[in-house]
Amino acid sequence: MSAAPSLAPALAPALALEGATFRYPGAERDALDRVTLALEPGRVHWLFGPLGAGCSTLLLAAAGLAPRLTGGTLTGRLATLGADPQAAEGRRALAGRVALVTPSPALQLSGIGATVFEEVAFAPANLGWPIGRIRTAVGEALARFEVAHLVERAPAQLSGGEQQRVVLAAMAALAPALWLLDEPAGALDAAGRRRVAEVLREEAARGAAVVIASEDADLLVDVADRLVVLAEGRVVADGAPRALLAGDAIWTEGPGSTSVAALARGAGLAAPHPLTVAEGVARWSAP
Amino acid sequence: MERAVSEVVRETARDARRDAPAPVLRLEGVGFAYPGAPAPALDGVTLEMAAGEGVALLGPNGAGKTTLTRLAMALLHPARGTVTVAGRATRGRAPEDLADVAGYLFQQPEAQLFERTVRAEVAFGPRRLGWDEARVAARVDAVLAALDLAPSADVHPYDLPVPRRRLVALAAALAAEPRLLLLDEPTAGLDRVGRGLVERAVRAVRASGVAVLAVTHDPGFAVEALERGVLLAHGRIVRDAPLDAVLGSDPAALPLPPAAEVARRLGLASASLRLADVARELAERCRAADARDKFPSS
Repeated sequence: MSAAPSLAPALAPALALEGATFRYPGAERDALDRVTLALEPGRVHWLFGPLGAGCSTLLLAAAGLAPRLTGGTLTGRLATLGADPQAAEGRRALAGRVALVTPSPALQLSGIGATVFEEVAFAPANLGWPIGRIRTAVGEALARFEVAHLVERAPAQLSGGEQQRVVLAAMAALAPALWLLDEPAGALDAAGRRRVAEVLREEAARGAAVVIASEDADLLVDVADRLVVLAEGRVVADGAPRALLAGDAIWTEGPGSTSVAALARGAGLAAPHPLTVAEGVARWSAP
Repeated sequence: MERAVSEVVRETARDARRDAPAPVLRLEGVGFAYPGAPAPALDGVTLEMAAGEGVALLGPNGAGKTTLTRLAMALLHPARGTVTVAGRATRGRAPEDLADVAGYLFQQPEAQLFERTVRAEVAFGPRRLGWDEARVAARVDAVLAALDLAPSADVHPYDLPVPRRRLVALAAALAAEPRLLLLDEPTAGLDRVGRGLVERAVRAVRASGVAVLAVTHDPGFAVEALERGVLLAHGRIVRDAPLDAVLGSDPAALPLPPAAEVARRLGLASASLRLADVARELAERCRAADARDKFPSS
């Protein structure tokens, strides 16, 4: 008797790369070097690597901006939600389904919206949503990032942290199937960073695929389901975040780990290292 | 003899008062509101910074931190009160009128990068100040080396990753040897190595007498590079004290760096919040615990 076929088909990857190689114009080496990855719906994937490792470039390629806007050459295969983000047809299919959050909120604001409401409503309006749906989505998204009180303000006049929250809300309003976030909490205060972490978990629970490139190990240690470590355009480690972050290899061959792991290493203690304040206190408290 | 000593002491104190350098930055009763905004961005702010001081400007998003730095670089002008940089009131002055005394790093480094190469960007300020080319070249080389940018000297700043553009903007701010350095989120998005470079650069310029005012949400950077914390809320200064008294006072809003939080909860006696100092204390505690395990006292 053969095993009954699973009723649930294996989830198609939200982002698939096969031997993807990308080089910026004039660059001496590949920014992405034969990257093969399959990132899934319902999970938070954390891309972590030192500056120049390729984390941001991977997001730009997945969003279809590299090489279309950056120039350069992309070889190998890359599919975003099953579509080719470089092709006009693929971009049409992806409109409104992919949320890209860049590390420069002031540059990402459309510059068209006279108010925060108009800014967040901009993409839904372009997708032809009815006004009632737009109003609901905008209101909910602003509330999620705790900026509902700014709804009538001019985006250009907001502080950097407020602009970052508005950009995040503008993307959340779309209820995207795929999040591509590059250092999305760089301008946020402590409460804002925690809110971003919570929203990423909520979005994964909703079924979205979340891909975040960040150096903020203290924030992401308890947020990410899967850690992909990049170095010089290559995937050098890929697995459960805690196991990778607690070891020493991520310091010698990668970008490092959390502040508490740094403390443990600074004290000359042996791996596996505690990763959070609570773990450090538990490990080192006198019995 | 005793009388002579006390006279010397008195005279020295008098001299110190007379010779006390003017503060590098002074805000007195400063108020500012953006047009159309429902509340003032800053209200009754008074702050002084001395040479070599390192101040972390803390507070939630929208508290007025960036506005304060814009006032200090004469990009904005107060509606009420006065702002003085190295003895010059900013009233009637533009940022270029302070270019020889104030350097700044914007939160969005793209707002200040406009040259075609990293080297030209960093040389721009010193050249504008009329330095001779040999001095410009030497200074640019030194600053690029300090921030590990020498390999990128001939690259277009916009061909660099966003976090490295921040280092370029910092290098440009340092190049003209300012007396006041204004930094807006200098470590945002930087990797471990980049953060270390910024921390070392800030410590080095402070040691040479530069006053550094940094807007930051990064408590780790703050304790490694600065020592005084000024907390803004709704446009007002609500706390101005040593960082170790300001950070951790409201853990949800102003957390200690994680290593320092561990030290506090363990009751480590470290006098400093810096990671290396906490690590030394932790190593001693673990050695002592090992010794107890090996040689039980009872």
